[in-house]
Amino acid sequence: MKSRRAEQLWFWLFTGPALAGFVLFSLWPMLRSLWLSFCQYDVVSAPHFTGLRNYAYLIFSDPAFWPSIKVTLVFAAVQLPLSLAAALGVALLLNQPVRGRGFWRSVYFLPSILPQAASVAVFVYIFQSDGGLLNRVLALAGFTGPAWLGSPAWALPVVIMISLWGFGYPMVIFLGGLQNIPRELYEAAHIDGAGAWARFRHVTLPLLSPVLFFNVVMGVIGALKVFDVAYAFGAAQGLTPGGPARATLFYGLNLYQQAFTYFHMGLASAMAWLLFAVIMLITWLNFRLSRRWVHYGD
Amino acid sequence: MLSRFREPALWIALIALAATGFWWAGRDREPAVHNGRKVITWIVTISPLRDFYEQEVAEFERQHPDIEVRMIWVPGSEYHMKFKTLAAAGRTPDMFYSGDVWISYLLPFMSDLTPLVQRDAAEIGLDDYFPEIRAAMQRDGRYYVVPEAVNVALLYYNRRLFREAGLPEPAADWTWDDLVRAGKKLTRPATATDPGVWGCSRMEGWWGEWLIYVRQAGGTVFSPDGRRCVLDSAAAVAGLKFYLEKSSRFGISAPGGYEPVNGFVNQRVAMLVGGHVNYWLNYNQTPGLDWDVQLLPAGPATRRGGEVAIAGYALSNITRHREETWALMKYLTRPAAIAAIVNRGGIAVRRSVAEATLRDPLRQGSPRHLAAVYAQLKYAEPIPRHPDFIEIMLQVVQPEIDRMVMGEFGPEEAGRRAAAAVNQYLATFAGRTPP
Amino acid sequence: MDQPRRSLNLLVVVLLVLGAAVMLLPLAWMVLTSLKTQPEILQSPGPWLPASPQWANYRTVWEGFAFYRFFLNSAFVAAMVIGGTLLTCCPAAYAFAYYDVRHKELLFGALLATLMLPAQVTVIPLFNAYAALHWVNTYLPLVLPAWFGGNIFGIFLLRQFFRTIPRSFIEAARLDGASEWTILWQLVVPMSRPAVLTVLVFTFLWSWNDLFNPLIYLHNESTYTLPMGLLYFIARAEQLAGGGTGQVPWHLVMTLATVMVLPVIVLFAIVQRRFVEGAAASGVKG
Repeated sequence: MKSRRAEQLWFWLFTGPALAGFVLFSLWPMLRSLWLSFCQYDVVSAPHFTGLRNYAYLIFSDPAFWPSIKVTLVFAAVQLPLSLAAALGVALLLNQPVRGRGFWRSVYFLPSILPQAASVAVFVYIFQSDGGLLNRVLALAGFTGPAWLGSPAWALPVVIMISLWGFGYPMVIFLGGLQNIPRELYEAAHIDGAGAWARFRHVTLPLLSPVLFFNVVMGVIGALKVFDVAYAFGAAQGLTPGGPARATLFYGLNLYQQAFTYFHMGLASAMAWLLFAVIMLITWLNFRLSRRWVHYGD
Repeated sequence: MLSRFREPALWIALIALAATGFWWAGRDREPAVHNGRKVITWIVTISPLRDFYEQEVAEFERQHPDIEVRMIWVPGSEYHMKFKTLAAAGRTPDMFYSGDVWISYLLPFMSDLTPLVQRDAAEIGLDDYFPEIRAAMQRDGRYYVVPEAVNVALLYYNRRLFREAGLPEPAADWTWDDLVRAGKKLTRPATATDPGVWGCSRMEGWWGEWLIYVRQAGGTVFSPDGRRCVLDSAAAVAGLKFYLEKSSRFGISAPGGYEPVNGFVNQRVAMLVGGHVNYWLNYNQTPGLDWDVQLLPAGPATRRGGEVAIAGYALSNITRHREETWALMKYLTRPAAIAAIVNRGGIAVRRSVAEATLRDPLRQGSPRHLAAVYAQLKYAEPIPRHPDFIEIMLQVVQPEIDRMVMGEFGPEEAGRRAAAAVNQYLATFAGRTPP
Repeated sequence: MDQPRRSLNLLVVVLLVLGAAVMLLPLAWMVLTSLKTQPEILQSPGPWLPASPQWANYRTVWEGFAFYRFFLNSAFVAAMVIGGTLLTCCPAAYAFAYYDVRHKELLFGALLATLMLPAQVTVIPLFNAYAALHWVNTYLPLVLPAWFGGNIFGIFLLRQFFRTIPRSFIEAARLDGASEWTILWQLVVPMSRPAVLTVLVFTFLWSWNDLFNPLIYLHNESTYTLPMGLLYFIARAEQLAGGGTGQVPWHLVMTLATVMVLPVIVLFAIVQRRFVEGAAASGVKG
């Protein structure tokens, strides 16, 4: 490098597009939507300031707001433990000295990167009450499967089951965590006569807890942002997305409909900022609690 | 690696490639003019009429070589979303469906058609439309819609299932009690080999069925001045109660959420209250489905209350081709086109077509009781023309009805909650468009 | 010691095989269904396997339902997004890795912070801006962010990898008179091929799988990308079947799904090891 000035120049040249993008595609829209969240804005006429009214309406009056949070939280509360259990189970298996570990890891990871529009379509077919794969398999086992689709009672459980397919991300993170656990600890525990369960309970789980915590945090944030599965689930059945009977009206979907179907752009911005605030809070907690265990590889 | 000569050439090629990519990415997909023809866009719901509309458009384009019609086909379940997103983007399609309550709702996107209608009154045969239809085309004395069809809520029934249950077909003087009595005889529980039959439908997710009962019980959604929701009135609650009790007490309808998919078409639901004339074509194309219609059963307060709504074409207020779109609207609503639609299933909005269909000895398929259809028009009522009606019904009222249907609370509570929520909504958002 | 180890290993393998079977069953069913005939679909219960594989289904959807157009649209968008990401993320990552500029860490932190920002927060102002520019119904809203370093995670991943390249390599190249631009593209990027490839595959997936943005910005059947094309095909089939007996041609839907999923599987197979490790390193998900 010829001089400090030249270095400066190259720096701004190289980071210029990304920094411009930061301003254009993140910072400006972020501030603009914060402003809109205090406005009544219906696209047709210019936004006008209404103070905290959108927030008050959401929290105290909107009949869809709390139900959509309930759907989201039920999803998180059921799907997350199940998918983390599956992810941890497979990660524990993969942590054994088994041949072709990379292959198995890829097989289990694959479903989580498939386009959700396609995987939901496949599952909607599998869940057909008449001739669907699942009910046929259940019939082989002597059970009569319910009508999974078109029923508000089953809609959310079905979406949860569909989402369970993709536990690849938490799995590989668990696997990374497991591989960081020193082998000596297991050997020491083994020598002390600890059984498999005791080793898991007293060695693996405590040492894995930061990773577990991280996965929980990412899972909650992921649940708050669910959109594709919910939308595709409705659309693949010819239902208005969110149906039947709003049983799959996730927070992200509700926000989308408020904005683009009902033109409550101000209200939707308020919803977006509430979401953002919760995510920031969770991330902040995560940072505080993770200082102890995450070290950045510098 | 690369020779000194090849590197710049490579970068130039890459830049050219990227530039081409951006050109393609940013190309206007809906230019005002394409290949010398004026482009007009029309957003249409996918339906069995798709072939028919495509033929009509092809013929229209043949007659108007200077016009290209681009049809934006949208599944019915996403039509609302898609239209509004386009409108928000400043891309309102040149032509779209509207009518009755939709006129108030979509007013910010529609052209005032009055000058065109008056100019071409003779050509479009304004006098040929029934007076009620002409009224439904207007708002505050201005024309906004050219109607193609009209829908009226009816009692649909499956003749085979009535025969098998040994029941006479529904009569014009039926009441709710008769509906329940017949429904009980028609209902057949599911068994291992038989999917079973429900006596009566239960339309969920929108106001199609429950509003009929509310109005027939003497209730309504809005106070006369449109400023307050009165779904908590005793009469409205009675209507909601009947809607709920069809399954919870009388057991003639599926419980919340278990309405068989397309139950009437699949012959798993014997009677359908409300319905839509758009489905006549489906019904008639379904092998083995023998169906007919009757006047809606009368409620405790009145026989009135079934919904009537016109479906017609509106013209975007930001269209780039006003006259060309108007020409297409006129073409699609000429008597021959309306007759073609009526022959596929539907009710005529033009007197000439209505008379021709009623007399037409060659007319085939159901419904046979066309007289009942036209009689029901006398008892039908349009949807209140509140500018926020659609939004309120779908966004604010329906969540409470859904929860009632799912058994979370009873009709009184549902009425109370819905009314409170609507009044809160009105206090927060009213004035978006003046009522 | 050896005996229990071996039996444990066997158990692990058996469990892995069973689990993998469950994981892959939906995909297998998808492919099997895509090879069936309409009557085989409508039978209840239909056969498990197609009597004779109907490869013609692929031609039917590809040509008959113009699915090639959705495919090409998706491929075009993905190519543009990948091009932009490559061209703007590599220099940014290089600059953040090697240059010593005041407030560098702060700027990088600001960029990283946007990973937290949910799309819902920015979508409304961006939509309104694109609408004002008359860019709705073009691909620009889908493509443009990528040309402005839109893949922050990619920048992060590349920076981490670039840092592992010894500085002495770069200093040596500078002494030889190579420009920064040349060093980046002819030294650093080729040396970081696995990381770059990982970022490109991530980028491809985000673009290929994206449903949210096309839903808002594309409003013309001829411009749809695959996810929308697929969902609209189902909805259309459902309505055309007349809400009738609800007879969606599932064999064709599954054919479409297979066509859509196949490129993802192929790409994943190529880069799987590094990719999964990249995913593990980040914990960041689409």
